[in-house]
Amino acid sequence: MVGWVAAQVALLLSACAGASSGAATGGSGGSSGTTVLLYTSYSQPEVDGLVGAYRAAHPEAKVEIFRAPTGQLNARVAAEKRGGKVRGDVLLLSDPLSMQQYAAQGMLRRWSPAEASFVPPEARSDTFWGVAFLDVVVVNQPGLTPLSWQDLTGPRYRDAVALPDPGFAGSAFGALGFFAQAPGYGVDYYKRLKSNGAVQVQSPTEVITGVAEKRFKAGMTLDFLARAAIAKGSPLQMSAPAPGAVRLYAPVAVFGDTSRPTAAEAFAGFLLTEPAQQALAEQRRHPIRADVPAKTPALKEVAPDWPLIFQRRGELLADYRAVFGG
Amino acid sequence: VTAVSVCLLLLVGVPLGTLFSAAFEQGAGDAWSAVSGDGSGRALLNTVWTSFAVSALAVAGGTTAAFITERSRAPGRRWMRGAMLAALFSAPLVSAVGWTRAYGRGGLLDEATGVSWDGLFGPGGVVVVGVCGAVPLAYAVVAASLASRVEPDTERAARASGATPAQALRTVTLPLARPGVAAAAALVFVSAVNAFEVPAVLGIPAGFPTMTTRLYQNLTLSADPAAFTSAVALAAALVVLSVLVVGPADALTGVGSAPRTAATSGSATTDARSSWWLAAGLWGFVALAFAVPLVALVLMALTRAIGLPPVPANWTLDNFALAFNQHAYAALRNSLLLAGVAATVVLLLGVLTAVLGRRGAGRPLGTLVTLTFAVSGSALAVAILLAYGGRLRDTLTIILVAYLAKFWALGHHPVAGALERVPDDLVRAARVNGASPLVAARSVVAPILGPALAAGWLLVFLFAIHELTISSLLYGPGNETLAVVILNQQQLGDVAATSALSVLLSLLIAFGAALLVMARRAARTLGAAR
Repeated sequence: MVGWVAAQVALLLSACAGASSGAATGGSGGSSGTTVLLYTSYSQPEVDGLVGAYRAAHPEAKVEIFRAPTGQLNARVAAEKRGGKVRGDVLLLSDPLSMQQYAAQGMLRRWSPAEASFVPPEARSDTFWGVAFLDVVVVNQPGLTPLSWQDLTGPRYRDAVALPDPGFAGSAFGALGFFAQAPGYGVDYYKRLKSNGAVQVQSPTEVITGVAEKRFKAGMTLDFLARAAIAKGSPLQMSAPAPGAVRLYAPVAVFGDTSRPTAAEAFAGFLLTEPAQQALAEQRRHPIRADVPAKTPALKEVAPDWPLIFQRRGELLADYRAVFGG
Repeated sequence: VTAVSVCLLLLVGVPLGTLFSAAFEQGAGDAWSAVSGDGSGRALLNTVWTSFAVSALAVAGGTTAAFITERSRAPGRRWMRGAMLAALFSAPLVSAVGWTRAYGRGGLLDEATGVSWDGLFGPGGVVVVGVCGAVPLAYAVVAASLASRVEPDTERAARASGATPAQALRTVTLPLARPGVAAAAALVFVSAVNAFEVPAVLGIPAGFPTMTTRLYQNLTLSADPAAFTSAVALAAALVVLSVLVVGPADALTGVGSAPRTAATSGSATTDARSSWWLAAGLWGFVALAFAVPLVALVLMALTRAIGLPPVPANWTLDNFALAFNQHAYAALRNSLLLAGVAATVVLLLGVLTAVLGRRGAGRPLGTLVTLTFAVSGSALAVAILLAYGGRLRDTLTIILVAYLAKFWALGHHPVAGALERVPDDLVRAARVNGASPLVAARSVVAPILGPALAAGWLLVFLFAIHELTISSLLYGPGNETLAVVILNQQQLGDVAATSALSVLLSLLIAFGAALLVMARRAARTLGAAR
């Protein structure tokens, strides 16, 4: 009796192990080299749009998605690196600053996509390539539009500003990089925000929720998220205060540890093709390619000086944490 | 015995051994400083004081509720029992999210009256919502002990001898209920120490860390190797804390479970008027703690856009359509598969342990199994990751292994209880009358055991389906459970998707709980017919 039950347990366990490993690594074993594991901070509709377009062009290809906020992705990659090697093949992030950290550690593969020439020079490197532009904007309650980013440190917005956490959201990290070196701003800008009662929440989505529910008068978030909420009918306004919306680019890269470089490069390179760029435009993203028009009106933008910001990368988060805590 | 011991060793012994050796690798001093140092020290302190607060309040509330349903004349007591049972199965994650939608800023109450509770995010919310979740647990334990251990006859004797209802309550009922109350306190304390969902939703945004959320953040949000070391130390500390409390408590509750002689319900100790008040109080609690948050979630899930009032003009099913994408379905499938396999294996293990216990060899084994239930899911996850992470990291199997370790006790107890109820005489009578052992097993044992097994299976299934503490630490690409998807959406701040998925999870649990009630009823009918 005991032996029989033990055998059943073993059977069930192995069946489950088979089912799960099948689900987790499905087809990773050599022959079908068309499966790639994508690590991304993009939100679900955009990833689905991109993968849908890829599968339409390559019906035999398979893309597994692990989607998490940038901070969570960083933790996962770090844990995998400690354990031996990174499991993911392709990395698609929301800001260049987080990506640069991996490049600096030599964790990314040197490669050049077939459509590299369509990527503007400021959104290129030898390991990662811009896929889309995104704007860090202000979302506010109707009638409370700030004229300048500085306004958020003034009495009108006292105790009523929400900021996403740069340790959690890549876009917030990118914006931190911009403000830290912008004349008249610096890390001091965050100090003034803090002393004006600004609150740190986790994600740009949470900022929108908080402003829509009138917990905050205004907050820092991403343009396409704000546009989506406004389109649905949330009582919100979006603005690009002076000097302008902070323009980030969302880059794609291939992990150096990948065991399927061909498939990984094929998928990553596909993101720069017209169908993929169209799919991004459908999701209110700004295509990186000038020949694919955006479906949303342009904002007044400022473009950060990324090479300059990359040099300060190491101290940025620590400086910020000294103001807003961990 | 060996097979069960080997299972127990593999599921719990080896991982915990690995955990402690890893925790003490750098020397006890370093491990202690990792636990007590800086943020972790604050988390430890927060965990201890909130757990004490939750236990005290929840045991008081649960005991009161148990006296209302078992010892008062309050109307609708049967419905009250049902409501408390339903509350027992509600997912803590859904409760926590529901509370934010009901009483937080921009929530239902705020929308209707302009009043909201700002302290919801922070220690206040962690304690209050924790208490609400723990009251049904305390209630279940105390009510069961009132129903089985406290003799209505002794109460009647006291009343007949001239004691007032209050005197009878104080001098007879309460002292007899004490072991039940103590057991409830231990159980609630341990589950409060191990609670993850409520502090994750209400504590993290307010910067109020507990040990479990700190551990979660260390593992999932930090790229710093030191964070992992500190997580290991925290996990070890959690194990010590829970076992210190449960060890003595299990010994305590094992003492004397005398069978009741009379099957009548307990003597009523209240008059009609106060009964109404008591009933109103209990229903008020159920409404405020569970019904309103659930309604708030449903309304949020139905509302077209955030910031609009949840009136019919703004209703839509779009949120459900968006939330139930292929990833949510994959996660749902993972949850169902994990819960189903875990329930089945746990039941088999439960039968094994119980059969051995019947032979007299398994009593210490039963206690050990109970102890494993006390081990925090967070700690278990870290321990299993350390022990088996090399091969099994990011697979469903590693989550399953942790579930088996965690839920073994849940399956063990109903099965053991049911086996005790199979009278040897009946089996002997069947055999004397010419039944083969097989026929005896089929016609005597199976009808009694069947519904109990079904109930045990559903019990494990229900707890596994909304399990988050373990799966949030062990999931990998393609292996998210439904609860993990909800947590991630919640952390992302996507209120509509969080609400829609929470509603789905609640429906799933309600369906399972309904089946469980049916199985229980079948078991009872069979027992009565015997």
